[in-house]
Amino acid sequence: MENSWNPLGYKNLYRELFKKHLDRQNELLKKNRPVGWFFSFHPSELIYIFDVVPAFPEQYSAYCAARGSSVDLIDTSISSGYGHFLCDYFKTTIGMIEAPEKATPPLMPKPDFIISSRALCVAHHEMAEVFSRYYGIPKYTVNYPYWTTDSLKNPDELTKEAEWAEEVYVEYTIERLRGLVDFLSKIAGEVDEDRFMEVFRKSEKTSELLIKILNLMMSKPTPGSQREISDLVFIAFFVLGSDYALEFCENAYEIIKERVKRKEGVSEEKYRLLTFGIVPWHSLKIYQYCESMGANFPVNLYVNASVHKADSSNPYLSMVRRSMHFTNSSYEMLDGVVKTAKKAEIDGALLLENTGCRITSMIIRPLAERLNEDLGVQSLILEAPQCDPRVMPMERAKTQIDAFLESLS
Amino acid sequence: MREPFKLFFSIFQERSKLKEYRNEGRRIFGTMCNNVPEEVIHALNAVPFRMFGNYGNTNLANSRIPSWTCNYARNVMEAGLRGDFDFLDGVVSATTDDTKIHLFSAYRFYMKPEFSYLVQFPYVRDEISERFFSKELERFAKHLSSFLSAEFDLERLSDSIKIYNKYRLLCSEFEKLRADEKPKIRADEFMALMLSSLSMLKEDFTSMAENLPEMLREHDGFSDYRLRIHLSGTDFYSLTLLRLIEESGMAVVSDDLCTSAGYFTGYVEGDGFDALAERYSGCTACVMTSSNTELSVEERLRFIRKKLRENEADAIVLLKDRGCEVCGHQCPWIVREIDAPVLVLDLDFPLSVEQYRTRMEAFVEAHGGG
Ligand code: SF4
Ligand code: SF4
Repeated sequence: MENSWNPLGYKNLYRELFKKHLDRQNELLKKNRPVGWFFSFHPSELIYIFDVVPAFPEQYSAYCAARGSSVDLIDTSISSGYGHFLCDYFKTTIGMIEAPEKATPPLMPKPDFIISSRALCVAHHEMAEVFSRYYGIPKYTVNYPYWTTDSLKNPDELTKEAEWAEEVYVEYTIERLRGLVDFLSKIAGEVDEDRFMEVFRKSEKTSELLIKILNLMMSKPTPGSQREISDLVFIAFFVLGSDYALEFCENAYEIIKERVKRKEGVSEEKYRLLTFGIVPWHSLKIYQYCESMGANFPVNLYVNASVHKADSSNPYLSMVRRSMHFTNSSYEMLDGVVKTAKKAEIDGALLLENTGCRITSMIIRPLAERLNEDLGVQSLILEAPQCDPRVMPMERAKTQIDAFLESLS
Repeated sequence: MREPFKLFFSIFQERSKLKEYRNEGRRIFGTMCNNVPEEVIHALNAVPFRMFGNYGNTNLANSRIPSWTCNYARNVMEAGLRGDFDFLDGVVSATTDDTKIHLFSAYRFYMKPEFSYLVQFPYVRDEISERFFSKELERFAKHLSSFLSAEFDLERLSDSIKIYNKYRLLCSEFEKLRADEKPKIRADEFMALMLSSLSMLKEDFTSMAENLPEMLREHDGFSDYRLRIHLSGTDFYSLTLLRLIEESGMAVVSDDLCTSAGYFTGYVEGDGFDALAERYSGCTACVMTSSNTELSVEERLRFIRKKLRENEADAIVLLKDRGCEVCGHQCPWIVREIDAPVLVLDLDFPLSVEQYRTRMEAFVEAHGGG
């Protein structure tokens, strides 16, 4: 039975944010500033420190999926010989490169360099290789460690502050990050130390607000919709360090804070669900559909993974900290996640298996097991590639969700 | 398959050597990647053993990891869940691709091995990264020796390096023999050798196999082929498909598989962790590591071109496991950039071998001489 859906109203804030981001891009492009392609979990602050034009294959592919062009692009990539079971973002971007006429404008600008940062998946590194070869451009690699129980102790699920991290790994990553700064200096001009600090201070404030927003999302009733919260990854991943990200978060925080004070929820709450996996960008309504049935999402682990507490007093360590999320850690390290789920008092979980993505897909069953074993919570796993609607038609997903919610009641 | 190779294959299939080692009280560690620096395990008097599963259907694994992941990963998982690896004291993998990282995590989560270690690869070869990698190998040695309550001894490491280098030299002799104008070794026989060498101590393999080259040299060799091919792929080990390739009129004269040339190519020059780090980060056949100025796919292309030239291969057969991320990203570049005909076989496991026969025969028809 549907009930009313009452989102926070971040839509206008996002519109404003994207507009400012694009204005900046256009302005810098006019000035012939270098263009770089970046991936999630890269140190986005550097984009603002060096005044370079960023483009994000993941974000662009999500945009194509939301606009309906990704299927053709994916097919183009497969007919060029790339594997079927690869990341949708890779296939969509290859489609854009090989068949630009099929891609949704505005296309990503051609890169002058590419940053291959493995803080989430080797796929980033693999695709950076391919893109760099297509365009004949330089690539710089920052390989963060994949954390295991013998190298990282008790990272906080949101801030990523940990009790201990293996020094050998931290030092090496910092050295690579310093190398990245040198690499960018050669491309985009010398680093201005004042600017460096200023951007990191902004990043710190923004990151604190993001964490507060996600904490408030766990209130009862759930104050916001995942339609709007899941887009916070754009801020955390890509524009952290910008003026407009800070401005967005200040406003967004005020809105959610007021909402919580008023004890107002996104809908009349019957179930509290945890969600994980990359949202299928072609079927964003999936969250709205659940919420309209009273199944709200106080926790989105994917969004939680995207944030970290930036620290302007130790910027390099703070860049390393970005990698200390549970999707970049071995599966026995799900304790933090379970703790969050417990705190949020969830009744069930909606987990999205993104076909072709080994990161989200392989951790999903261990996650479901832990939620079940530790909290007695059941999960619904939906196979949902994030840019290809053919695998998970919305109608089928709805039927499965209906049955799952039925089983919770 | 001829007699001596049958014996080697049975060692792999029956794990007879591993049983012997076990009875002698030696500790055995499963590895999930050809880039695990086995010398470290060997130097601690333990036995490194490459984990393989051989299940047509991987139903148990499919309920834990996605059914679209590569055959290698699903089979290791299946074998683990069925208890085939219960005899292991621990597992070691490397961060060479997402599948290997997450297979390691999933394996740890479900099988809870007593010891496990994930070797962190730097992906870049520069001074800083090599220094780091050397420290990483030392760290691995520390963790393993503390688990085994043993001192890590650099002299023993040096001995292990020698043993492994000798093994690599022997493999390169086999390589030459299969690249003869009349190849002396069949593809399935070569793979049987490789697989057995991954299931026993290298010194035992070397002493069992060191007379083989001489014996084989006396053999006339095979001339029942029309096309000499280089085999490209990753963690591949299906003897059935190799037989089919040769039955279709091709002779496999070289490869870059993770289970074969990608494993044994490259010597450790010198001693200690630095030398080990240099060798393992310098393997170009499949690993994602590359120099600062080159991409790993370029290094791989160079490796393949060299193999084609040295072994006078006329064409390439590319084994593209539908779930392999490395093949998935690199395959088009091999097809586009190597100046030789390429037959791409999209492998879906369990293999229905016959479906490939027609394509192979047509390929031989199109590119094979006489
Ligand atoms: S979807 Fe998966 S494979 Fe693709 S970029 Fe994200 S984490 Fe990496
Ligand atoms: S290289 Fe390919 S076959 Fe080997 S583990 Fe990785 S994905 Fe699987």
